[in-house]
Amino acid sequence: MTRIPDFDEMVGEEAGPAERERLRRVHDLLVTAGPPPELSPELEAGPTLAMSLERRRSHGWGRRRVALLAAAVVALALAFLAGFMTGNGSDEGSITSAKVLELRGTALAPDALASLRIDPADPAGNWPMNLSAVGLPKLPPHGYYEVFVTRHGKILAPCGTFIVRDADTGVSIPLNAPYELQSGDSWVVTRQEPGQHTPGRIVMRPVNA
Amino acid sequence: MELALESPARLHALPGPDAAPVPPGSSDGELLVRVADRDREAFELLYQRYVRSVFGLALRRLRDRQRAEDAVQETFTAVWRSAASYKPDRGPAAPWLYAVARNAIVDRMRARTEPAADPPEVASSEPGPPERAEASYVSWRVHRALEELPPKEREVVELAYWSGLSQSEVAEYLHIPLGTVKTRTRSALARLADVLEGEVE
Repeated sequence: MTRIPDFDEMVGEEAGPAERERLRRVHDLLVTAGPPPELSPELEAGPTLAMSLERRRSHGWGRRRVALLAAAVVALALAFLAGFMTGNGSDEGSITSAKVLELRGTALAPDALASLRIDPADPAGNWPMNLSAVGLPKLPPHGYYEVFVTRHGKILAPCGTFIVRDADTGVSIPLNAPYELQSGDSWVVTRQEPGQHTPGRIVMRPVNA
Repeated sequence: MELALESPARLHALPGPDAAPVPPGSSDGELLVRVADRDREAFELLYQRYVRSVFGLALRRLRDRQRAEDAVQETFTAVWRSAASYKPDRGPAAPWLYAVARNAIVDRMRARTEPAADPPEVASSEPGPPERAEASYVSWRVHRALEELPPKEREVVELAYWSGLSQSEVAEYLHIPLGTVKTRTRSALARLADVLEGEVE
């Protein structure tokens, strides 16, 4: 057991009686409370997207209920997350703060939800992005997901790939669009089968697409 | 290229362009009100302030790190879902958050499938439920208050109280004068007293 620190050694004689009594109570509380717990890296990293999507990790709701709830939350998020890059008429050069694009799963991944954050371009023209996604199913070995920028509804260029270990815990991955983006550009996520080198089937697209 | 990430998708603090940034020094209650309006920045701040308190409470009750982490997940999911039910005029946010966490932990305890233990033949000398509840709330508030300390003050408190170092040893460990250690310690205790005053007697 850790020794109890010496109150008099810490506070000294400078404090008056009232202040000493006040500090003494705190001292006693610290001793009673004990050390705060060490957080796991998971907890230390901050709240998960799943928390705000009200998804439970290991028990409980049926898939249908989760899907309905998730759809409701996406609708709610739409009301608060303005600034989509798609269809808002903004010019490339006018994007000076992070934008958020909400994506949801197609029939291939009906429970999937994601937020794609697009940061302002760096001087070289890279557009750093971060995709946080839940609900994408784990793929077979050598399968992976790929994020593409789209223009006029057609796939234009890749922005990065990722895999998923668990649908409920999801992923958070940095991406990059090293392209000259234009107003109306958007993004999709595809499912890449093993050995497939062309864009696969779309599993996530913007909620307003 | 970044591929396999095992960590859960993180909620990044992204208030919408129309949402005003959270003012520095916002109270827990003010953050909860913003969370009710789906302010993710406020939610992340609230998480940072309380995650240790929630996890500590869950660990004490559940005595299992994995289940305690699940309880943290449940707690903050419930906070996000139910923040609108918090009424600032009915009192501070800490007891409301404590109740949410306690409910999530109780749910976890009920979810246990282990058979009930045989009743003990002799009375236990361990604290009873009321004493445990009081001790839990004290820890809850103290751990929350620690989040208010500047890092340098928190450091000396942690070394003195939970690493077993004397003031001289703290000074030696941190390579700073003994007087600085004493000044930081007194300042930390005074700051904690301010935060805890009136809430924990």
